[in-house]
Amino acid sequence: MVKTPFILRWFLRLLVVAYLVLLVAWPVSLVVRNTFADGFDALAHTFSDPYVVHALKLTAIVAVVSVVINTVFGVTMSLLLVRNTFRGRRILSVLLDIPMSVSPVVVGLALVLVYSPTQGWFGPTLANWGLQVVFSTPGIVMATVFVALPLVIREVVPTLQEVGDEQEWAARSLGANSFQTFTRITLPSIRWAVIYGVVLSLARSLGEYGAVKVVSGNIVGKTQTATLIVEERYQNFDQPTAYATAFLLASAAVACLVVVALLRPKHTAS
Amino acid sequence: MSIEITGVNKSFGDFVALENINLSLPTGQLTALLGPSGGGKSTLLRIIAGLDHADSGSVEIEGTNATHLPPQKRNVGFVFQHYAVFKHMSVAKNVAFGLEIRKRPKAEVKQRVAELLELVHLSQFADRLPSQLSGGQRQRLALARALAVEPSVLLLDEPFGALDAKVRKELRDWLRRLHDEVHVTTVFVTHDQEEALEVADEIVVINQGRVEQVGTPDELYDAPASDFVMSFLGEATTLGGQLIRPHDIELTTSPTAVGAIEGVVSRVLRVGFEVRVTVLTDAGEEVVVTLTRTAARHLGVDTGRHVWLSAAAGAVTLPSAGLPVGTPLTVA
Repeated sequence: MVKTPFILRWFLRLLVVAYLVLLVAWPVSLVVRNTFADGFDALAHTFSDPYVVHALKLTAIVAVVSVVINTVFGVTMSLLLVRNTFRGRRILSVLLDIPMSVSPVVVGLALVLVYSPTQGWFGPTLANWGLQVVFSTPGIVMATVFVALPLVIREVVPTLQEVGDEQEWAARSLGANSFQTFTRITLPSIRWAVIYGVVLSLARSLGEYGAVKVVSGNIVGKTQTATLIVEERYQNFDQPTAYATAFLLASAAVACLVVVALLRPKHTAS
Repeated sequence: MSIEITGVNKSFGDFVALENINLSLPTGQLTALLGPSGGGKSTLLRIIAGLDHADSGSVEIEGTNATHLPPQKRNVGFVFQHYAVFKHMSVAKNVAFGLEIRKRPKAEVKQRVAELLELVHLSQFADRLPSQLSGGQRQRLALARALAVEPSVLLLDEPFGALDAKVRKELRDWLRRLHDEVHVTTVFVTHDQEEALEVADEIVVINQGRVEQVGTPDELYDAPASDFVMSFLGEATTLGGQLIRPHDIELTTSPTAVGAIEGVVSRVLRVGFEVRVTVLTDAGEEVVVTLTRTAARHLGVDTGRHVWLSAAAGAVTLPSAGLPVGTPLTVA
């Protein structure tokens, strides 16, 4: 290993720390400080506001449902991509990255164009069947699923490739059917990738703003999620509630990451 | 017959991996599929196991047509070159896997696992994870796991390929003794002719997707059916347009035998007790002769010396078709 000169080493460390403090630690700590400026008053006040409670509940439901959908879909999709060769596999792989590169606002608009009950391409048909997508929970879930779509796949695909298929073939030759092979061999060997993907998706789903804002219609007490209420309260000079809700969102995401860091055994490759 | 392969063909795109393979492997024997890398022998083994499917032809195992059976219904044990042990399970759990899938009673599973671990000398490692085992131990674990389900056929794909030379030799002896104890029909793939000659009851030589010859190690060595078999099993060189074993050539320093071929020693290489002498004949052939160190010293063989070469009495020779494998090429 090439040894970096002492001074340069310290300079680089300082640079990284300063960068992270200015960009991440300081702004986030200000949110925390503002939340607890009057002790627990802001939090207590926030929890007594029915609209905020409704928004938090909605966010929790949407996040959980989206994560479940993305996990099932993500693992299936990863298996399809890694364990099979078929025409258009690379195009599919590129398509799966689109949610990462397209702005969430565009995603929201696209969904409205397709599912709007009055002028959408597919919306009126669904509305006739009594299913409203846009401006209600299904639309919010769809928008959230869309933006968090690649996270599980991008975690699981490299792990599946690294593990290879020999263990699966060995299980088959020992008499296991495809379901037994999946639950006993494949899933245990990719479990950390799946858990990591789930946590990333959960964090992303909790924090989604742009796509949800367009799709939900931001109806207070109905389709307003936690991120939307933060913005609304901040604009309306109810800053304690905005800070407190923001603090709750941030701590939920941080808690997810901490739990995984603690659970994950050291020195495991998979 | 335990395994009956009829008219099997397999291509990967334009590449023909197997061409019209017909093969009968008898019950209870240890058979080697021997051939150079990329010759199709692993593909054939995978087709027998059901891990790959033939384009045409049929595979019969113990009298049942297995051509369209999935691997889990064929009752074959498969051992992979890179072990393919289940990394997240303990050694005992690995061995128990096939039995647990078959829903055998717990007590029976426990007893059988203990027996098998005893058989492969891994009893003291039962609770370890595969990552804590050496390569040779992992391969023995893979063998025990495959044997646990009492397969009618045991298939091994280059089983010792990933191991170092010493462990490979040990495991080879051990496999032979294990087979003498367990007597399960075993087929293993190898590109190492020494391994095949030493371990197998019967050898199937496969080259470029075709079966070159089937026979016991002695038959193949003493009566090779083609120049490919002759040069692939053991060393071979050409003398007067005939393929011959380098140790079957008599080298003299004066023209004694009738029809002896004259030449000049161009290189002498000593490896342990053996001396490899390269002779350039007057006809322009490069012939390799092996002598013992004692014989070479007695004859006084040295570079530039005029010598006469002839086939020893009883030597196996074959007409050579072109340049055989194993003959050293002159580099200008």
